[in-house]
Amino acid sequence: MAPPRQPATRRRVNPALLGLSLPAIIWYIAFTLGPLLAMFYIALLKWPGLIAPRSFIGLDNFVKVFTDPVFFTAVKNSIIQVGIVVPVMIPVAFMLGYYVNLKPRGHRVLRVILFTPALISLAAKSVVFLSIFAPNGLINGFLANIGLDQLSKPWLASTSTALGTVMVVDLWSGIGYTAILFSARLAAVPVEVMEAAELDGCAHWGRMWRIAYPICRDYFGVLAMLQFIWVLFSSAGSILLLTNGGPGNSSTNLSFLVYDKAFTQSDLGYSQAVGVILFFVGILGMVIIRRVFAARH
Amino acid sequence: MTHPQRTKKRSLNISPVAHCLVWFYALLLIIPLYFLIVSAFKSNSAIFTTPFAPPTSWSFDNFTQAWSQAQMGDGMLSSVLVTVIAEVLTLVLAIPASYAIARSSGRIGSFVEKFFAAGLLIPGLAALVPTVALSILIGLFHTREFLYLFYPASVLPLSVILLTQFMRSVPPELEESAMMDGASRVRIIVSVYVPIISPGIATVTILNFLSFWNEYLFALILGGPDPDIRTVQVALPTLVSQTNTQYGVLLAGALITMIPVYIVYIILNRRLEEALLQGAVKS
Repeated sequence: MAPPRQPATRRRVNPALLGLSLPAIIWYIAFTLGPLLAMFYIALLKWPGLIAPRSFIGLDNFVKVFTDPVFFTAVKNSIIQVGIVVPVMIPVAFMLGYYVNLKPRGHRVLRVILFTPALISLAAKSVVFLSIFAPNGLINGFLANIGLDQLSKPWLASTSTALGTVMVVDLWSGIGYTAILFSARLAAVPVEVMEAAELDGCAHWGRMWRIAYPICRDYFGVLAMLQFIWVLFSSAGSILLLTNGGPGNSSTNLSFLVYDKAFTQSDLGYSQAVGVILFFVGILGMVIIRRVFAARH
Repeated sequence: MTHPQRTKKRSLNISPVAHCLVWFYALLLIIPLYFLIVSAFKSNSAIFTTPFAPPTSWSFDNFTQAWSQAQMGDGMLSSVLVTVIAEVLTLVLAIPASYAIARSSGRIGSFVEKFFAAGLLIPGLAALVPTVALSILIGLFHTREFLYLFYPASVLPLSVILLTQFMRSVPPELEESAMMDGASRVRIIVSVYVPIISPGIATVTILNFLSFWNEYLFALILGGPDPDIRTVQVALPTLVSQTNTQYGVLLAGALITMIPVYIVYIILNRRLEEALLQGAVKS
């Protein structure tokens, strides 16, 4: 059968090809999707500790969650964290990315500097900032040197500053990398578009927000979404290393609550009930962000 | 001006305020790194009284103390084992799958592709607790073996999606002639595709290296605290003490964990940056 026609190849090819992708599919289901589904079941169990016996209690965990003041503290802290980190990081990174993309003098060095935080592990980053914000660390040492001792405090161990300090670290590690991503996206914008705007007498500020922003609008949405998901689900590690949720519960957010209830307080049902709530909040948030940044044309 | 053409093309016209703000931010990024390096050679009192001064001596005592106190040698070995084995397993799983997706034009192929694309949106940490339950169920809780098996699953979506795009760029005619010669599919993948898509494999390997080497929370919970099993990332924070942390030792330890990443960064500079860009843009 020469020459082979497209449809014929298609039919001949499929079953064998499916077999080649099967191991990856099974692996992914076994280690990621399966556990994710199991979360919905564990949320219905009374399960006091990993090796303890478990029993089915229906929606009791959700009742417990919704009557627990700690849960609402965590909700509040997650809202603050998402509400500050995402709206600060994304526009600032966009402006930085716009700047880098203009290729001013020193842009190569700047690019390397912006990239560096993306290479550092969570553990290394956290111990660096533990040392910076420690009672006898960099910040307080600097304040003492310039005679502002009265401003110094244990930044990560004060109720009023713990969560704020965690957010500073989030921003420190996220802005630069996001900026590089924006600059890569902006590099794909045709030069003519920008030049036309320049001829119209548009200054950078105007070009940035009236020309570049509408073009990159969908990308704004994608990066906002990634950052939103990260803060909502994956910030447990940085909270654990920096503040352990404290002092009190002042820096406990939802992601950390899931971790803490399961592994410190041995209440796995509660932990996974929060996980289920988080899952739906995550989907809702992604839909909203998508809507807000949907391309207008 | 040496480049008249370039300057004519772009009149940059950036306001000095913008320059200042950008470089001020760059300074904010550099200060913690500078502080990390100089403090690794200092004592606690020197860190506090002269935080910005270079160290008075370049003694490696902090490094040797961090190395022995946190048993970082064992940690490094665990990290290397976990990273290498998980890298190999990821490629063994992802290369055939991406080949299959790229070469099937039917409905199943696009379904499999969508399946992995949807996986990009699932944050790994969402399923931490059930994953621990799974590791207990199969008798691999607090072992490195579970990390070997689990890490590849966590990066499969991105690896498969990226590799599929590289696979698609290979002209199908190459494969057809190999098939005429009676080569099996596995042979074709290994001898025709892998050499051509090696830049894609490099990208995926670099991205996975960063996520495996740097991973913390799963390694902590699944691997457990045993110094012979824990990865170097889990070993590092054990240098933090409730009452009297030696920050110089702690930061020397942090530098030790970063060495492999920076070696790779220096060797593969541009390639690594491109990999990070591709990884994020695709997701």
